[in-house]
Amino acid sequence: MQLTNEEIKESNEKYDIVAKATSDTIWDWRIQEDYITWNKGIENVFGYRQSDVGATSKWWFDKIHPEDSIRMSVKLYSFIEQKTEKWQDQYRFRCVDGSYKYVLDRGFLLKDENGKAIRMIGAIQDITKQKEEEQRLKLLETVIIQSKDSILITEANSTDGKIPRIVYVNPAFSKMSGYESDEILGQSPNVFKGPNSDSEALKKVLKAIKEEKECLIETISYRKDKKEYWVRFSMIPIFNSEGVLSHWISIQQDITEERKLETEKEHLIRELTQNNKDLKQFSYITSHNLRAPLSNLMGLLNLIEYIPIDNPELQEILNGFYKSTYLLNETINDLVKVIIIKDNPSMQKEMVSLAEVFENVFGQLSFQIEAHKPIIKLKLDKVPLLNTNKAYIESILLNLLTNSIKYKSENRKLKISITAEQIDQKVFLTFTDNGIGIDLERNGDKVFGLYQRFHNYPDSKGLGLYLVKSQVETMGGTISVESEVNKGTSFIIVFKN
Amino acid sequence: MLKQILCIDDDPITLMLSKKVISKADFSELVITAQNGEEALSYFNALKYGKDQSIKKPQLIFLDLNMPVMGGWEFLDHFISSDYDEFNSIPVIVLSSTINPEDLDKAKKYPIIIDFLSKPITLQMLEYLKNKIES
Repeated sequence: MQLTNEEIKESNEKYDIVAKATSDTIWDWRIQEDYITWNKGIENVFGYRQSDVGATSKWWFDKIHPEDSIRMSVKLYSFIEQKTEKWQDQYRFRCVDGSYKYVLDRGFLLKDENGKAIRMIGAIQDITKQKEEEQRLKLLETVIIQSKDSILITEANSTDGKIPRIVYVNPAFSKMSGYESDEILGQSPNVFKGPNSDSEALKKVLKAIKEEKECLIETISYRKDKKEYWVRFSMIPIFNSEGVLSHWISIQQDITEERKLETEKEHLIRELTQNNKDLKQFSYITSHNLRAPLSNLMGLLNLIEYIPIDNPELQEILNGFYKSTYLLNETINDLVKVIIIKDNPSMQKEMVSLAEVFENVFGQLSFQIEAHKPIIKLKLDKVPLLNTNKAYIESILLNLLTNSIKYKSENRKLKISITAEQIDQKVFLTFTDNGIGIDLERNGDKVFGLYQRFHNYPDSKGLGLYLVKSQVETMGGTISVESEVNKGTSFIIVFKN
Repeated sequence: MLKQILCIDDDPITLMLSKKVISKADFSELVITAQNGEEALSYFNALKYGKDQSIKKPQLIFLDLNMPVMGGWEFLDHFISSDYDEFNSIPVIVLSSTINPEDLDKAKKYPIIIDFLSKPITLQMLEYLKNKIES
């Protein structure tokens, strides 16, 4: 007994030295008395002052996370009852602030002469950092496992001039290539090569491997069942902390569908471009072939003017001839303008004085203005200058003005009001008349259409407003219409200025 | 008034019209015609190698573009070569029904073309040309 006491004393001294030296939290549990003491670690690691710490095992168990406590106590008691050889366990231990730390707890038993456990001593190690790192790595790993892109990892170097051997493939790779992981580990990615693979691309990869540089290729690859697929394939070198190449990571995507769509798109574009070119050429030739005989007709009719005609019937016939030819000529000239606008989407713009433009337009219409004497109100002082194409804006205004005169009401004097306003970066040109109007409910969507006529007038061609809209849009503007039958019509043109 | 001009056009009605308008405008005393570029070149060859010294060379050429056998552009490419050095200072006026912008751009590359006019030929057009040539 004396000796035993001596031994215990010595053992206690040893224990005290170790308990002071370690960063672990040491506990000492006298099992029969249910009396536990803790070293400084309980304060340093978990924040409990010695006065907060309970003296029974209940205090300890209370601090264990509820999800871990049953498993933990089952293991612990089976150890105390000596059903198991060793005891160590991981669980979450609650700190004084209520947060939990992951701990690794290891302990051993002291027994009496009958072999009964009387005392247990344990050391709690804080492994929160390791646990968190483990969870972080697990999360990162799920990226590779869940990725829809194929990922494979190879060794750093190859000995036989092939791509280095595969050490890992993710599930997406197995799905894409048809090879299970265990069938392909240890092989070189060269096995995916086949007769239609791009050997130049493969050379590029081998060169990049030699130079330890990243590379990206697209090639035809072969599945295990020898079916072809297009793959976008990158090789990225991975260096260890000493800067020595340790592995290659290859990320691959099946781009078969993408390739197919691209090819189809290219084909379609080529076809459309050719069709467009053919149509353009066709329209030039057609208009040339129409214009050639028509210009003869016009020239010949010009000559007739110089020859006196006595027969009134012949004169009447010639007048009809003359009118029809001129109308045909105008129509074809308008069509030509449309063709040229459609062919020439970008055109020169310059700063143009609106007052000057109107002067030109009125000059060209002087005969009709003299004949009908419309009341024209111009309010252009808000926008003296407009950045536009002079020929187009003149053509637009000429067409609108001609329309107003052509479709004036027989019951009242023609009034035309034209205003220009600048709002922010936009110019609003409003062109209003009190003519016969257009039934927009019936014809709203057709006003600016090609060959749309709304009044049975012999010299209406259904081209004017189509041309106006084309010209406005070519200059990046918009045009809209408001109209009421027998009240009048307004055109609102908006340009950026 | 010019002494002699050459009209190159495959359309006989256009040629007839040109002759009539030119005479009405007192633009030229004589109008020679050719139905395409090749005929025009043979005319110049005859001038160069022919013995008849009485034939004078034209002072102006009206040229159509779209013609069978040899069109206007092909004619010009021959005409501006060294084979026709004695003649290719004669100014050329393109008189065409084309609307192809490529033709207009191409015309700018030939210094020999002094104008590009749209058919039909008219008295006003000839007045304009008279002023242009005289100035």
